[in-house]
Amino acid sequence: MFVQINDLHFSYKGAHEETIKGFSISITKGEIVSLLGDSGSGKSTILRLIAGLEMPNQGVVVVNNCVCCDDCQFMPPEDRGVGMVFQDYALFPHMTVEKNIRFGLHKLNRKERNARVEEMLALVNLTEFRHRYPYELSGGQQQRVALARALAPKPALLILDEPFSNLDTSLQHRIRDDLRRLLKQTGTTTIFVTHDEEDAEALADRIVYLGEGKIKKQVMTENNKTFNPQIPCFV
Amino acid sequence: MNWHAVKRQLNGWAILSFLAILLIVLPGIVVLVELFAPVNDNWQHIQEYLLPRYVRNTLFIMVATGVLTTVIGTSLAWFVTVYDFPFRRFFKWALILPLAIPPYIGAYTYHGILNYTGVIQTTLRNQFGITVDQSYFNIMSIQGTVFIFTLFLYPYIYTITRAFLHNQSSSMIENARILGRGSWDIFFTVVIPISRVAIIGGVSLVLMEVLNDYGVVKYFGIQTFSTAIFSTWFGMKDTSSALKLAGTLMILVIAILTMERLVRGRKQFSYASTKVKPLKPRPLQGWHRYAVFAYVSLVFAIAFVIPFTQLTAWTFLTFDTVFTEEFWQLVWNTVRVAFTATVIILLFALIIANYTRLFPSNMTRVISKVTTLGYSIPGAAIAIAVITLFLWLDDKVLDLARALDLSQTFVFRTTLIMLIFAYVIRFLAIGYNSIESGFEKVGKSFTEASRMLGWNTVQTFFRVDIPMIKGAIMSAFILVFIDIMKELPLTLFLQPFNFSTLATQAFKYVSDEKIHEAALASIVIVLMSGLLIFVSHKVLDKEAD
Repeated sequence: MFVQINDLHFSYKGAHEETIKGFSISITKGEIVSLLGDSGSGKSTILRLIAGLEMPNQGVVVVNNCVCCDDCQFMPPEDRGVGMVFQDYALFPHMTVEKNIRFGLHKLNRKERNARVEEMLALVNLTEFRHRYPYELSGGQQQRVALARALAPKPALLILDEPFSNLDTSLQHRIRDDLRRLLKQTGTTTIFVTHDEEDAEALADRIVYLGEGKIKKQVMTENNKTFNPQIPCFV
Repeated sequence: MNWHAVKRQLNGWAILSFLAILLIVLPGIVVLVELFAPVNDNWQHIQEYLLPRYVRNTLFIMVATGVLTTVIGTSLAWFVTVYDFPFRRFFKWALILPLAIPPYIGAYTYHGILNYTGVIQTTLRNQFGITVDQSYFNIMSIQGTVFIFTLFLYPYIYTITRAFLHNQSSSMIENARILGRGSWDIFFTVVIPISRVAIIGGVSLVLMEVLNDYGVVKYFGIQTFSTAIFSTWFGMKDTSSALKLAGTLMILVIAILTMERLVRGRKQFSYASTKVKPLKPRPLQGWHRYAVFAYVSLVFAIAFVIPFTQLTAWTFLTFDTVFTEEFWQLVWNTVRVAFTATVIILLFALIIANYTRLFPSNMTRVISKVTTLGYSIPGAAIAIAVITLFLWLDDKVLDLARALDLSQTFVFRTTLIMLIFAYVIRFLAIGYNSIESGFEKVGKSFTEASRMLGWNTVQTFFRVDIPMIKGAIMSAFILVFIDIMKELPLTLFLQPFNFSTLATQAFKYVSDEKIHEAALASIVIVLMSGLLIFVSHKVLDKEAD
C-alpha cells in the first residue's frame, strides 16, 4: 500500500483518555480519502500525527515505502515528504504569493524552481496575482495559494485540514469540484478532514467515518466508481 | 514517554535554554545557600536592632506607594479611556512619560526644587519676603520617598490598565450603561472587578521597582533593605550578613508574588476575546470636563513637566562645565553596555521562548517561570550574588593558572562581563515576556507550515519565526534598552574601575551635592528614554491596529 497506518494511539498531555485509540488505514496511490467526524472525534489529530506535528504513543506510519514513525524512530515533519494545507492556510504574511509557493522548493536548482513556480501558478490560475501579499487576496484565492504551496514540492501525500471551513457556501461548491479535478490531474494521494458529509461526498473516493478516536465505518463514494474503479474497498 | 520522545526533547534548543537558565539561577542559589550558613555576631546585631526597622520602612513605603499608584494609575486609565476631554489624545501617551524619569533623578530634582536654595523658597524669600518653616519643605523623609515613587511609578499601572480597558471592556461598560448604571457606579461595580488582574499585575511591577530602588532611599537617607545590604557589605565589610539580608529580601519578594497568585485565584480571566472593539470615549459636560482636565494636567505637570523644566534649567546653568570630552565617553559607555546586554538578552529570550513554544511540557513551563524570576530579584541582591560568584570564579581561574604555570590570568571581575551578566539576569524577563507574547499572537501554524515544506526548526526560526515577530522583537529591544540605560544599583556596584555611565555619573554628582551638575546626564537619560517610549508606543499602537 502507498500509505499504511497501523494501530495509531495518541493522547494529549495531561489527558486521561486517549484521543486516538488504534487507528489503522491503507490508502492506494492517487486515492482521495476523507476523514469525516464531529468535532472532538480526533480527525485533525490524525492528520497532525501523519504530518509529524504530534508524536504518537504507539503505532506505525509508512508513506511511499518510507517509515515515518514506528516504535523506535520518529521522522521530523520536514523529512517526511508530506504536504499540508492548514485550516487557516497559514500563508506567510511577509511573503508574496510567488515567494510563498517558492518557499518549499529549496531542494531544486534555480531553473527547476522557477519552472515549478510558473507551473503551480498556472495550475491554480493565479499567475497575475503572483506579486500580491496574502492579505490582498480573497478567501478562495488564499486557499488556492495554500494548495499550490503544498503541492509545489510534489509531496507523496497531501493532507488538508477542513479545507472549506473558511469559505462561504456558494464558493464551497465550485471550489471542491475544482479541487478534485486538480488533485486527480496531479495524481496526488490525499487525506482530508471535514465535518460536512456533502463535502466528503463531492471530493473523496472513500469516506472514513470517525468517532471516539476509532473508525466507525468506511464507504466508497459515487466518485470512486467513475474515477478509479480498481481501488479495493475495505468496508 | 518512550525513548524517542526523550530524544526529541533533547535538541539544540533545549540545551541552549538549559544553559541560559543555569546562568540565571546561579546567583539566586548563591544567595539562598548563604541563608542557611552559620550566623556571625554582626548578623545577630543586625537581626536584633536593625532588621525590624528595615522591614518596617520597606513595608511602609511599599504599602503606601502601592495604594497611591493604584488610585492614580487606575483613575487616569479610566478617564483617558472612557471620557473625552480637552487634549485627551495627547494625554493618552503623555501620561506614560514620567516613566522616562528614573525615580532617583526625580528625587534629587524635587529636593533641589524644594530645599532652602531651591526655586520655590528663593522666590518666596526674594519676591515676597517670606521665610517658610523648613520642615514643610523637607522631602527627604519616608513620606517624601513615597511621593517620589508614586509620581514616577504610577505609569506601570496606568499603561497596563488602560490597554486592558481599551481593548477588552467596551461591551461590558456599554452594557452597564444600557442597564442604566451611572459612571461612578460602573467604575466600582464593573471596571475595578474586571480589571483587577491588570491592576494587580501593574502593582506588582511597581512593588518590584520599589524593592529594587537604591538611588532614592540612599539619597534621602531612608534605611531599607537595599541600603542595608550595601552598607553591611561596604560599611561593615560583612559579605555573609549582606547575603543574608539579600536572601531575606528575596523571600519577601517570593511572598509577594505568591500572594499575587493567591489573590488572583480563580479569577485569572483575561477576557481574551479576539474581537477587540475599542471603547468610544464619551464627551464630558460642564464642570466635570474641566475637573477631569485639571486632574490629569496636574498629575502630568507634577510627574513630568516640573521636574523636566527644572532639569533643563540646571542643564543650561552648568552646560559649559559639564559638557566635555568625557561626557561623550559617558554617552558612549551607556549606549555600548546597554546595547550589548540588550542583544544578549534578546538572543536568550528568543531561544528560550522558541523552545518553550515548540516543545511544551512541564519542563518548559518551569523554564518559562524561572526566566521571569530575575526581574523580581532586587538589584542589591543580584549585585552581591554576582560579585560573590565572580570572586569565586576568579579564584578558580587563578588556581588553574598556577597549576598550569601561566604567568597571565584572566580576571573577570574587572571587566564589563560581570555587569552585563547582572543585567541579563535582571532584565531577561522584560525581553522574554514581550517576545513570548509576540509568539503567542502569531501562533504555531506558520512554523508548522514551514516544516511541512521541508525546513527544520533552525531554518524555520530564521526564515519564518523571526520575520513574523519583528514588531515584538523591536519593542522588546526598546523596553530592555530603556531599563538598562536607567538602571542604577547594579551599574553602581558592578561597573569596572574607571568606567561610568550616565546614570552612575549623575548619581555621583548628586552624592557630592553637585545637584546642578547632574542635570545634563539626567536629561540625556530622560530624553533618550522618552523618545524610545514614544517610538515603542507608536510601534505597539500600529501593531494593535
